[in-house]
Amino acid sequence: MSKKVIIFDHVTKTYNLYKNSKQHLLSIFYKKVKCKKKKALDDVSFEIGQGESVALLGRNGAGKSTILKIITEVCFPTSGTVLVDGVVGALLELNSGFDPEFTGRENIYLKGNILGIPKQTIDSLLDDIIDFADIDEYIDQPVRTYSSGMKARLGFSINVNIKPDILIVDEALSVGDADFRKKCNKKVDQILSDKKTTLLFVTHSTAIAKSFCKRGIVLKKGSIVFDGSIDDAISSYEQLKP
Amino acid sequence: MIYVIKEIVRDHIQNKAQIIRLAKADLFKTYRGAALGWAWAVIKPCVTIAAYWFAFSVGLRKGSEVAGYPFILWLIAGIIPWFYMSEMLTQGTDSLRRYSYLVTKMKFPISTIPTFVSLSKMFINSIMILIVIIIFWISGFPPTIYYLQIPFYLLLDLIFFTLWAQFSSLLAAVSKDFANLVKSFVTAIFWFSGVLWDAKSIKISWLKKLLYLNPITFLINGFRDSFINKVWFFDQLNLLKYFSIITLFMFVLVIVSYKKLRRDIPDVL
Repeated sequence: MSKKVIIFDHVTKTYNLYKNSKQHLLSIFYKKVKCKKKKALDDVSFEIGQGESVALLGRNGAGKSTILKIITEVCFPTSGTVLVDGVVGALLELNSGFDPEFTGRENIYLKGNILGIPKQTIDSLLDDIIDFADIDEYIDQPVRTYSSGMKARLGFSINVNIKPDILIVDEALSVGDADFRKKCNKKVDQILSDKKTTLLFVTHSTAIAKSFCKRGIVLKKGSIVFDGSIDDAISSYEQLKP
Repeated sequence: MIYVIKEIVRDHIQNKAQIIRLAKADLFKTYRGAALGWAWAVIKPCVTIAAYWFAFSVGLRKGSEVAGYPFILWLIAGIIPWFYMSEMLTQGTDSLRRYSYLVTKMKFPISTIPTFVSLSKMFINSIMILIVIIIFWISGFPPTIYYLQIPFYLLLDLIFFTLWAQFSSLLAAVSKDFANLVKSFVTAIFWFSGVLWDAKSIKISWLKKLLYLNPITFLINGFRDSFINKVWFFDQLNLLKYFSIITLFMFVLVIVSYKKLRRDIPDVL
C-alpha cells in the first residue's frame, strides 16, 4: 500500500454557537457564558493514500466542507488528530482566496506567494495558468469584475498548475460549462496519471464524482456512513434519506 | 502562554518576506484605481491640516506662537503622527475582517495580517514625517540634533500600534460590537489625548499623571519634543517607563486573546 498523505484519527469538530456576537465577546473573559454546541464532525476516521482520488459525498450540512477546511488547515479540529503530508492546492468555494481589488495576474502571484512558491516558478507557470483559465484580456482586470465562472476557472487553473501534492476541489467545477469541464477532466486525469497527486473531490453531482474518482466516502450528519468504491458509494449516497 | 509567543514569533520570522510583500500590496491597493493615485496619501492629511489651521488660526484666533514656532507648525508636528494612530485604531481593528479571505480560504499565519497592515500605514506615515521636516525647513526651522530621536519614536509608535491591532483585530473578528465601540471612540481619543492642545500645559496634577499613562499622549509629545520643544527622551525616562508598562500590558492582552481566539477565528469570520 502506498504512503498515507491524509490521516484523520477520531476527529471531532464542534462549533460553539452563541446567541449573538456580544455573548461570544463576553465568553473570552467569562467562562460561564452559555452557548449551543453543534457537532459538524463526529468521530471521523479515515486514511487516504498517495495517488488516490476520493469523492466526498453527502447532503448539505453533512460535514464535507468542514473536512476540507481541516485538511487545508483553515480551521482546527476540536479533538482528534489530523495528519496532512504535502502541498495542498485547495479550491474552497468560488472566490477561493482572491483579493477582489487585485487583477487576475496579481492574484496569481499573491496566491503563489502564500503557498510558498518562488517567483521564478510562478513566472514560468503564468502562461499556462492564463491559457488554461481562458480569460484572455480580463487577466489584467480586477477580480471583482469577474463572473463566477471566470473566478472558478482562474482558481481551478492556478490550483492545478502549481502541481500540488494534494488537490482539493469543492463544488467549484459545477459552474463551468461543458467544454471547460471537459478540459478540467483531461487536466485532472493528466495530473492523476503520475500516481503522485491525491485528489479530493466534493460534489453533489454523482456523475462528475464518478468520472474523477475511484473511491467514495459518504457522510451523514458528521459521521462516515460508507467508505469504499465509488459505485457503491454513489448507491449508498442515493439511498440516504434526507 | 509561552507556546503562543513562540507561534506568533515563528509565524513572523518564517513569513517575513511575505509580510513585506503583503504590506506593499496593501499600500498599493489603498491608492490604486484613483486618477491621482498616490497623491491622495498626501492630499487627505493636507486638507485636514488646512481645516484645523483655518479653524484655530483664523476662526478662533488661537494662532499664537508655541515655543517660538507658529501654531500651524506645532499643530502638524502632532497631528501627522496622529493620522497613523487613528488609521490603526480603525483599520488596524478591521484588518482581520478586511483580509478575511486569507483567514477562511487558505492556511495563513493570521497573526501577520495586523502586522503587514501596520507596516503599510507606517510607511505612509514615515513619508508624511519627512514632508513635515521639509515644511519646517521651508518655514525657516532647519533640522536640529533632536530630530535624531524621531525614528525612535516612530519605532515605539509602530510597536505599540501593531500590538494594538493584533489585539483589537482578534476581538473585532469575533464581535462587530467591539469594532463599532472602537470606531465611536476615535474622535473622543483624539480630543482627550492632547493632539490639538498641549498636554504638558495641564495644571491639574492627577489629570496630568493620568495623561502620562496615555500612550498616544506620550507619542505625540515625543514627536513635539523632537520637532519643537527640544527635549531628549532620556531626560524624561519616567515617561518612557510608563509607556513601556502600558505596551507590556498590551502585549499580554495580545497573547491572551490570541490563545483564546486563534482557533475560533476561521469559524466566525
